[in-house]
Amino acid sequence: MALLEVRGLTKRFLGITAVDAVDVSIEAGELVSLIGPNGSGKTTLFNCVTGYMAPDTGRVLFHGRDVTGVAAHRIARLGVGRTFQLVSVFPRLSALENLLTFLQQHQEESVLARLVRAPRVRRYEAAAVERARMLLDSVGLGARADAPAGSLSYGQRKLLAFAAALMPDPGLVLLDEPAAAVNPTMINQMKEQILGLHGQGKTVLLVEHNMDVVMDISERVIVLDHGQKIAEGSPEAVRRDPKVIEAYFGR
Amino acid sequence: MSDLLEQLLHGLTLGSLYAMVATGLALMFGVVRLINFAHGEFYMLGGYAFWYAYAELGLPYPVAGLAAAAAMGVFGLAYERGVIRTILARTWHVQLIATLATSITLTNLAILVFGTQPKEVPTTLSSTIVDLGGVRMAWQRPLVLVAAVIIFAGLEWFVTRAKLGKAMRAMSQNREACAVVGVDVQRVALATFGLSAALAGGAAALVSPLFNIFPDVGALLTLKAFAAVIVGGFGYVKGAIAAAFLIGLAESLAAGYVSYAYKDAIAFVFMVAVLLVRPQGLFGRRIGI
Amino acid sequence: MMRALRFTIATAFLIAVPWIVAATVPGQQRYVLHVLIFTALYGALALSYDLVVGHVGSLSLAHPAFFGIGAYTAALLATEARWPFAAALPAGIAMAGLVALAVGVPMFRLTEHSFAMGTLGFALVAQIVATNWVDFTRGPLCVTGIPKPQLGSLRIATLPGFYWTGLAAVGLVGLLYHGLTTFRLGRAFHAVRDNETLASAASIDPLKYRMLAFVIGGAVAGGVGTLYVSYVGVLCPGELAVSLSVNLLVMLFLGGVGSLRGVLVGSVAFTALPEILRMAPTWRMVIYGLLLLIIVIRAPDGLEGVIRRRSRA
Repeated sequence: MALLEVRGLTKRFLGITAVDAVDVSIEAGELVSLIGPNGSGKTTLFNCVTGYMAPDTGRVLFHGRDVTGVAAHRIARLGVGRTFQLVSVFPRLSALENLLTFLQQHQEESVLARLVRAPRVRRYEAAAVERARMLLDSVGLGARADAPAGSLSYGQRKLLAFAAALMPDPGLVLLDEPAAAVNPTMINQMKEQILGLHGQGKTVLLVEHNMDVVMDISERVIVLDHGQKIAEGSPEAVRRDPKVIEAYFGR
Repeated sequence: MSDLLEQLLHGLTLGSLYAMVATGLALMFGVVRLINFAHGEFYMLGGYAFWYAYAELGLPYPVAGLAAAAAMGVFGLAYERGVIRTILARTWHVQLIATLATSITLTNLAILVFGTQPKEVPTTLSSTIVDLGGVRMAWQRPLVLVAAVIIFAGLEWFVTRAKLGKAMRAMSQNREACAVVGVDVQRVALATFGLSAALAGGAAALVSPLFNIFPDVGALLTLKAFAAVIVGGFGYVKGAIAAAFLIGLAESLAAGYVSYAYKDAIAFVFMVAVLLVRPQGLFGRRIGI
Repeated sequence: MMRALRFTIATAFLIAVPWIVAATVPGQQRYVLHVLIFTALYGALALSYDLVVGHVGSLSLAHPAFFGIGAYTAALLATEARWPFAAALPAGIAMAGLVALAVGVPMFRLTEHSFAMGTLGFALVAQIVATNWVDFTRGPLCVTGIPKPQLGSLRIATLPGFYWTGLAAVGLVGLLYHGLTTFRLGRAFHAVRDNETLASAASIDPLKYRMLAFVIGGAVAGGVGTLYVSYVGVLCPGELAVSLSVNLLVMLFLGGVGSLRGVLVGSVAFTALPEILRMAPTWRMVIYGLLLLIIVIRAPDGLEGVIRRRSRA
């Protein structure tokens, strides 16, 4: 059973078909890239899969379970982490607090236990802080743990958003253009982080325009154009596919 | 039967008023994406300007009416320059509170200057009631409707033919592109506010002979105009006009046949009903004016 | 340690106010205490409003309606059905909370401007109903003869008595406010306010938290309404005027939206200052309007923000 399955997903806005009967199947542990020219429907597909939009037709299945049209916060709760194309953090909170916010809904103690700050609660909270610090260190933001997220640079905020998405230890991670608008050193760091996730056995689906990154790290590449899937396969196969070449250059 | 016709005529008059005010609101939202909570006060001040020109200065009706519209046009320009420009780049919270604050300030200034007693501004057309086959009405009512239609036709010509109007339409559809191709976005925004305010002023000159002018008149009017804008599909002027007439008719019929006291609630109920059933408005999310 | 000490001294001082006032301004006692009672009630109301506006970021203009619903519920139950205060108060709170729940469900399906307008419309309709449903609410004739609160053998009928009641009210509301806006719940509220999309990605349900703040805020407003009518003894539809929202917004933004201390400071400044300056009501509104306009553009963090920036520099 595939970890994530998308069947015949279609989404239309204002007369334009942004996603057109797309089928995607991703097995556990895969590292897949979703590419295509601007406007090909990649982010819309992401939004439909993660619950920010409801598709007009089609199904989204996570672990075989139908999650089509389920609200974003509930899909996140099922173990799906994502980042956004326009980097998104909680600017008024510190980096550490940003990460803690991502874990709190997964901590299931009763309100009463929390009110009296039972020892178990304190242990959980300490564990949460420890995990947050560990994640921040792993992306190189350990020193800035207490800095307000709004004061971080663009690249640092991207790393923060990445770390925050990983905080609840999701099985499926969706990254929307992780290598966009950052310097080459940061791109390498991102590549390492993503490969690191893959090494941990997580399933990764990324939308990316940077072809070097895509060809370098992906196991499989899916290509969208005008909302339709036009090619799928290994990076080398896709690179040589005439339909893909035409989609990118033939206009 | 004649009763129904009277209610319908009243509804069309109301609808014309709401449509003129809503058009200004929709224009402002369409061009600069801002909701002006003080818009009703443009109408209120226009009403007082008209009263002053017609009743105090004794100017002939058409001159007084145009004077009121012109005065509000100038006020609109000043408002854009003074208040709106400082909040255009801010969040909608700030914009809402700032325009709401302006609304309260203007309303209370009006109370201080003009007092709370409503001003009556009867004209010959509004005070003589004629009987047309059982339907009793004042000629002012059809005048309002005809004038509104002329104004809307003029507006349509303006956004399709005039350079400034075309720029407004272009800005409402794609603001970034406009800035890139050299449209003076600031000037267009300024003009939009002037035009919207003048529309409200003109509406006041047309309608004040029928309904009195008082400082609080703006609040309910803003709400109803906003309801029309929402129901018609945000930023879509023709939709707002159609919705405004619907609201006017519904309100008049409700006042006549259901309950006069609760007639003001109609617009609100209509708005919430449409929003829940069809959030993109009755005519869908069309972009542009 | 120091903090607890300062807190205790401050509380003792506040409790002793009626005696202090009697000693310092004997002729003005009644007036000063009256202003303080209003300040306390407004403070509690402003805090309840700040939960919605400041902490979860929903710009609701419906608060006057909830205040009014609580007030009318208690007033009518006390005068028509002879309910004692101890029963009328929870009834006022519950009724306001229930209406907030019922109104919130459709309202939160609206976005941004539409939400603000929808809540404004609701507030206007509430006032229209209060004014026109004369059979039920007495309309412009007002509900009169609302009895003073009687809790068992304790009757609150004196100005100091009402002052302490008001003080207790603002204290309790402040405690509730603090509890709701710190710890995990506070983080959830703030996440929804600062970045709703990201909050969803963090498994936080924006609707749930917006509704929670809205309903609790509305319920507390209803409670304040109940206390208000018990003090004033008369209730007219004018109390639900939309201008109350403007007053509350001034309090919040003047003092510091989203901050306990800020909102309380704003309430004091808003209520006490005009009394001291003896401003006529209409002039007051002109000044408040201008003040709100200037503050929201230039210093949206209010006095609290100014203080914070000074202390950092």
